[in-house]
Amino acid sequence: MTVLVLLAAGGFGAGVFGSLLGLGGGILIVPLLTFGFGLPFREAVGVSLVCVIVTSSAAAGVYLERHLANLRLGMLLEVFTASGALVGGLVAFLLPDRVLAGLFAILLAYTGVTMLRRGATAARSGAGLAEPGEDPAGPADTPGAFRAALAGPGYRPARLGAGIGGSVFAGLVSALLGVGGGIVKVPLMHLVMGVPLRVATATSNLMIGVTAAASAIVYLMRGGIDPLVAGPTAVGVFAGATLGSRVAQRLDLRLLRLLFVAVLALTAIQMTLRALG
Amino acid sequence: MTVTAPDGVGVIESRAAALDGWIALVLRAGTLLSVGLLAIGVVLMSLAGRSPLDATWPALDLGRIPGDLLALRPEGFLWLGLLATLSTPLLRVAASVVGFLGLGERRMAGLGSAVLVVIALAVVVAKGTQA
Repeated sequence: MTVLVLLAAGGFGAGVFGSLLGLGGGILIVPLLTFGFGLPFREAVGVSLVCVIVTSSAAAGVYLERHLANLRLGMLLEVFTASGALVGGLVAFLLPDRVLAGLFAILLAYTGVTMLRRGATAARSGAGLAEPGEDPAGPADTPGAFRAALAGPGYRPARLGAGIGGSVFAGLVSALLGVGGGIVKVPLMHLVMGVPLRVATATSNLMIGVTAAASAIVYLMRGGIDPLVAGPTAVGVFAGATLGSRVAQRLDLRLLRLLFVAVLALTAIQMTLRALG
Repeated sequence: MTVTAPDGVGVIESRAAALDGWIALVLRAGTLLSVGLLAIGVVLMSLAGRSPLDATWPALDLGRIPGDLLALRPEGFLWLGLLATLSTPLLRVAASVVGFLGLGERRMAGLGSAVLVVIALAVVVAKGTQA
């Protein structure tokens, strides 16, 4: 009973923080389950993928209703994120836990640095968001007709080749480490393909569900998802993410971001120690 | 006809906007169903006094789920909730394919079908490599 409540509470906390800071819960759930509850790394990844799908489906519905997500661009890229995730799901069962923990430590460090940079950008610009219609990737380099079909109001995605390659990588990362992969997809779409940040964030969220589902199927069929752990954690994450999305506008996130980066740094150190045995 | 998107992102065609709304509905319904089933499973697990970390977990056996549901056993609701969770994004893709066909966008429908083929491949490969 106590463990069940603690799992749900941990999931709730991960959902709130993830939602407030614009991350999927995966980056928090895997350390929570491995360090907090002693689960093997691969089992924690399987549960995390389930939680990531729940939060993605809930958030993507809202983004689509507000017409912020680019369904066509998402559909193109998720062919490749799902392919990467399929391969990643298979590779994950071949790699030792220590290697996965080492990779996760690298992801944590990268996420921490990205969040610090994002905080600095937001402080300078006031919002940190690209303006509608701005095209940071510069002139497009792909033929018109297909790219036009992927265009949204005021922007047209550029460098589709790079976007496709990056999407395969995002799928691999998601499947190996149990995260949504937004930390790869959002910068890829925004900085490389010239998609406005708000659209990139919404479209990434839309794609996360399918990406995680491709690898979660592999985990599920190979006995890598524990329903008794996944149930309370996913319900907690859903409740936390719902609450977080409602209060995010009213909170000053600067202190929270710094606190979160500190937590990421500590977790990265622990993961590194685990990787080194 | 066009529809204004919020937050200054611009305008989109009304038929595309309708497709977004329809797919959002699929996602919302799928999420509520999944979380509802998982929540029932968690409550039943709590009532039964079972701890998630006590023992090895019950294997997925599709044939057992109806019996577990009728007997109000937590594993039936948890497995069905997990299957609904995994199916929700796939239903979203399937709904998109139907929607794109309705809009006459065959290329986009093809891309959606390609996503479903990758997922089907995941099932086949996972089954073929099961321990």
